[in-house]
Amino acid sequence: MAASITASEDLMAIRRLRLASFVEASTLLVLLMIAAPLKHVLGYAIATRIMGPVHGAAFIAYAWCVTAAVSGGGNWTRRELVRLVLAGFVPFGGFANARLLRRKQAAAAAPAGAR
Amino acid sequence: MDYLWLKAAHVVAVLIFTGGLFTQAIGVAAGARGGTETVDLVSRWDQRVTLPAMLAVWLTGATVASVGGLFSNHWLWMKLVFVFGLSGLHGVQSGRLRRLRAGEQIVLARGPFAASGAIAFVLAIVALLAVTKPF
Repeated sequence: MAASITASEDLMAIRRLRLASFVEASTLLVLLMIAAPLKHVLGYAIATRIMGPVHGAAFIAYAWCVTAAVSGGGNWTRRELVRLVLAGFVPFGGFANARLLRRKQAAAAAPAGAR
Repeated sequence: MDYLWLKAAHVVAVLIFTGGLFTQAIGVAAGARGGTETVDLVSRWDQRVTLPAMLAVWLTGATVASVGGLFSNHWLWMKLVFVFGLSGLHGVQSGRLRRLRAGEQIVLARGPFAASGAIAFVLAIVALLAVTKPF
């Protein structure tokens, strides 16, 4: 019983991480590709003033989701952890996580014996 | 007036979040000693109160800093590093509580009060930075 409850919690943690990864990567792209040029080329500083905090919040949410997912078990390797951390700092990094996280989600969704 | 209300909301969120962090730390320590009931209670409190409080800390904190024009202060960035660390610790402890609920055994490498001590130490630095604004 406890194991099945926690398996669904693991699954939820990975789903949450997938969403946070996507949002973090998207907001970083909007910040770098749209807001920063708007500020430096056209002088619309408001763009970065809005997108800066939005991306900051997305980054913190992503970092929290990584620590909560990895600390909760799920057989994360050190290499996977390093990859998740690095992905938070580079553009497109969050999108590069997609395959790894899909695989992890499938593993968490599989019956205990099949993992 | 709005600024003071925002600041008050931030302090309320911080107090609830830090209380939850200590509760989490003790819950993990109790779970490592086999206290399954404690783990269950602490986990419920964590999900319903501490996690939303942490989100409120970041939301109100960013708004206070933005409205008050504080982002150019070095003390604030130093404080943010420590708060980021506390949020990370919250994530780690949430994961540990999940493992304990699954029936896994956790061995605490540094004793039952190490995490609580570290939280208290970091909170003292955060409070000093926020009140004295030294640089």
